[in-house]
Amino acid sequence: MVNFTVEEIRELMDKAANVRNMSVIAHVDHGKSTLTDSLVQRAGIISAAKAGEARFTDTRADEQERGVTIKSTAISLYAQLKEEEDLKEIPFKVEKNDFLINLIDSPGHVDFSSEVTAALRVTDGALVVVDTIEGVCVQTETVLRQALGERIKPVVIINKVDRALLELQLEKEDLFQNFSRVIESVNVVISTYFDKSLGDVQVYPDKGTVAFGSGLHGWAFTIRQFAARYAKKFGVDKNKMMSRLWGDQWFNPKTKKWTTTAPDGVERSFNSFVLDPIYKIFNAVMNVKKDEVLKLVNALDIKLTNDEKDLEGKAQLKVVMRKFLPAADALLEMMILHLPSPAQAQKYRMETLYEGPHDDEAAIGIRDCDPKGPLMLYVSKMVPTSDKGRFYAFGRVFSGTVRSGLKVRIQGPHYTPGKKDDLFIKAVQRTILMMGRFIEPIEDVPAGNICGLVGIDQFLLKSGTLTTSETAHNLKVMKFSVSPVVERSVEVKNANDLPKLVEGLKRLSKSDPCVLTYINPSGDHIVAGAGELHLEICLKDLEEDHACVPLKFSDPVVQYRESVGGISSITALSKSPNKHNRLYVTAQPLEEEVSKAIEEGKIGPRDDFKARARILADEHGWDVTDARKIWCFGPDTSGPNLFVDQTKAVQYLNEIKDSVVSGFSWATREGPVAEEPLRSTRFNLLDVTLHADAIHRGAGQIMPTCRRVLYASMLLAKPAILEPVYLVEIQVPEQAMGGIYGVLTRRRGHVFEEAQRPGTPLYNIKAYLPVNESFGFVADLRQGTGGQAFPQSVFDHWQILPGDPTDKATKSGQVVEAMRIKKGLKPDVPDYTNYYDKL
Amino acid sequence: MFYFIGLGLADEKDITVKGLEIVQRAERVYLEAYTAILMVDQEKLEAFYGRPLILADREMVESSSDTILENAANVDIAFLVVGDPFGATTHTDLSLRARALNIPTRTVHNASILTGVSITGLSLYNFGQTTSMVFFTESWRPASFYDRLAENASLGLHSLVLLDIKVKEPDLDALARTGRVKYDPPRFMSCAQCVSQMLEIEESREQGVCKADKLVVGVARVGSENQIVVAGTLGEMRDVELGEPLHSVVLLGTRTYDLEREFLLEFAKNKESFNKAWEEGGYGKA
Repeated sequence: MVNFTVEEIRELMDKAANVRNMSVIAHVDHGKSTLTDSLVQRAGIISAAKAGEARFTDTRADEQERGVTIKSTAISLYAQLKEEEDLKEIPFKVEKNDFLINLIDSPGHVDFSSEVTAALRVTDGALVVVDTIEGVCVQTETVLRQALGERIKPVVIINKVDRALLELQLEKEDLFQNFSRVIESVNVVISTYFDKSLGDVQVYPDKGTVAFGSGLHGWAFTIRQFAARYAKKFGVDKNKMMSRLWGDQWFNPKTKKWTTTAPDGVERSFNSFVLDPIYKIFNAVMNVKKDEVLKLVNALDIKLTNDEKDLEGKAQLKVVMRKFLPAADALLEMMILHLPSPAQAQKYRMETLYEGPHDDEAAIGIRDCDPKGPLMLYVSKMVPTSDKGRFYAFGRVFSGTVRSGLKVRIQGPHYTPGKKDDLFIKAVQRTILMMGRFIEPIEDVPAGNICGLVGIDQFLLKSGTLTTSETAHNLKVMKFSVSPVVERSVEVKNANDLPKLVEGLKRLSKSDPCVLTYINPSGDHIVAGAGELHLEICLKDLEEDHACVPLKFSDPVVQYRESVGGISSITALSKSPNKHNRLYVTAQPLEEEVSKAIEEGKIGPRDDFKARARILADEHGWDVTDARKIWCFGPDTSGPNLFVDQTKAVQYLNEIKDSVVSGFSWATREGPVAEEPLRSTRFNLLDVTLHADAIHRGAGQIMPTCRRVLYASMLLAKPAILEPVYLVEIQVPEQAMGGIYGVLTRRRGHVFEEAQRPGTPLYNIKAYLPVNESFGFVADLRQGTGGQAFPQSVFDHWQILPGDPTDKATKSGQVVEAMRIKKGLKPDVPDYTNYYDKL
Repeated sequence: MFYFIGLGLADEKDITVKGLEIVQRAERVYLEAYTAILMVDQEKLEAFYGRPLILADREMVESSSDTILENAANVDIAFLVVGDPFGATTHTDLSLRARALNIPTRTVHNASILTGVSITGLSLYNFGQTTSMVFFTESWRPASFYDRLAENASLGLHSLVLLDIKVKEPDLDALARTGRVKYDPPRFMSCAQCVSQMLEIEESREQGVCKADKLVVGVARVGSENQIVVAGTLGEMRDVELGEPLHSVVLLGTRTYDLEREFLLEFAKNKESFNKAWEEGGYGKA
């Protein structure tokens, strides 16, 4: 079945110009996996008959069952351009008409978008799939934004065109208008995230970066393909023809002239040259006009077997269209011609990928995509093997060559150059190719390619950098667009199974880029995920695959954050246990834009402090002196809380900095109100008094004092609880809209945008809904709208839960009390005097 | 009455008669055992004093002093401190808290390393500020002791350097990560480690205060039967093994007298190099 060999693939890997790494991204149910199938079919792995139904890249039983992709899956394909001379159209030098396409199919449901992030990191181009009818949806926008953030070049396919013809019965002109609108809204998103280094990456049908088709029926086309057909007929240049087949272009058959205004009774060229043959086929086949079908087939030079000639309706339509416009041809052509090769892409991606100086050997290796440079490999995720509890480390070689037996430095996300934290030096046991459901061993893999590694999984939690250079910094840690805001606790039904649960949790945490597992202070095992569905899948995996013992789950609960609503009413003071040292601190809210920028990785602890101060001063109105004296971020050294040194000329201050930073990271991880992590809080160190002798101001004296003074300063600054809020996008027919408002209002949600989708009776509603109120929302909404509303929820922002958390009469007070009791704390929030020392 | 009682330097028998009488009649007796230790363990003390002791660790003294001071206004409480109560170790805070609670206090003095160091033959009159040397960690290498040494040296004064001890210190990494208290095993700094840390800071400061050819005296177990005094250059003392804790180090000032030199020579690790360093280092001339 497989019509290419590992040797062939390996040979291609050396020619970076002939490699394309791309992910398929889209909103849920826009048809990614189905489209991917038609590519896989071309590479010969599944039979043509099953394409469109097999979902080759949905490797899990539950993915096949639910028809939803959960994990991203990689596959390497071998492809050729149909016309050898088309090679000239690739904007860089390519010698052979043989291409290796490493393709990653990713999930579309928002709950799994961390999988998309992991896929994007290892690819250079993206095939964005958009549903003709639904258009650009919330997740289309999210993934597109993520892709552009990683400097990934997009091409677009407008999918499910068959539905527009068969179900909506759109006229040609309406369909054209529909296409234009979808493309325009894609381009709006792209231009919003314009990146100078990437250049203009908006998509245009007449440049060949947009395809149209039907994944289900297995056909697709680009304007370029039609231009090639007509170029001969009209005797004009193909490129010229392309620009004539899209937009405001008309051909007057009487005068044989091209115009940019519509002559009477003439259809625009796109309709008459491109859509017309397709409409004719649909018409003839669906209305069972056998003679006409045969005539068309002959005219278009499509060869049908006798059996195929006897087919009727959709079955025949599929065969005819697939032979007329095979989806794989259009897609492969678009990818090969318009997506960058690794060598191209790494030139401009290096600076966003690499944390270290942009002129060291690792940076140069990445920039030049040099297979002989030092190894730089980013492991973006772990893929479970058939051997329970073991994982393949899946990643991309950015520089050097990885081979079996190579000794590498395994640098986790907390590794800092020159230190030994989060660093292992181990040999790669085996290198492999990932092929959907199968793997193939391979000797070595050079820069620019994607591969799997055996024997690395024990040394990396989820992701990390592999290198052979001792001076190499890390490749940047991925920033996820979702965060684990919903959690459930897990218990074993049989006490004896506890060790299996603990082991299972470890495995679960490895297998998913986003899931979080931990033990809370009262000893419960907690699993936190991006949403209800994500959590449900994780827990199912935990029970069935990772722990393999019967488990009990609590109801889902939401994660909260602690923050402050004002500035500390008095300066907080705490003395060290030996009373020789004093810290003076105030707390205040951190600007929301700054917190967001930190969470998105735009401002971070590893930035150059002067450049960071510039951004804070210019864009966020900070005082430059303050901005330059940020001591640390927290929690986990990168979170959205800051500690600013505002002291003046204090001796030995640098000798306590370390202890203060530890105290800060402790306090930001567990706040004073309910031991929840902090968010959006800024602390200012106003003054300190210190003992002259270092022994009396060691970490044991300063660290707990720092935590106490931070707590006191927060409790003096109107402490507040933040709750996560979803952005919900709901598609619903007009008559069912009323039900939505009722359901949302009951759940403290509100609608902020309502727009009709042009050409459809569907309304698109956007609303904010607290995550805490979202459990059972989908079912409730279906009930409220007679099953006609389909919501997609994605975490959007944090908002202050109304009320004083120390007052039990308020909503926020009740939430806090419940949390404190659950954690085994005293039900009352401690008063600031518990942490404040009098002078 | 709240009594601060000095236990002296070496073993159970160093307590004063006055102190012992109070210990034997007090309602509760606390033994502070984190700023310094004796050469003998708690059982031996209890056997000799003929009564049980309550071990007071850092947490208890610093964070829950109220339990120690409880009812001290009415009954006698003894708080035993190795050395002299307000000598090298600082319990002023406990005293202040007692005062705030209107508890009368009294102090029974004893020998301290601050005076015991005179065993080296160096005149106590010529010591400058005392400083401490902490265990350096990977990220915490405080150099402020160097300023103290430099100030003393500029006046030609000797510097007594007290060495870090860690008895029941919480593992701060674990504390910051998990919020739970885990204790590190006890550790005591040796004279050799102190000297090498001094040399390390000298390398970055380069003011010549504790260069490898300057003279230091290392003492160990002062006041006990097996006390040791060794003198030499920092370069020599870097790998001198003085055995069991506790150790202290004196950095010699240049304001020295012939008698001190004669006395120290007896302890020299290498008499020849000691004399050489003395002559070339400008000792005895200030």
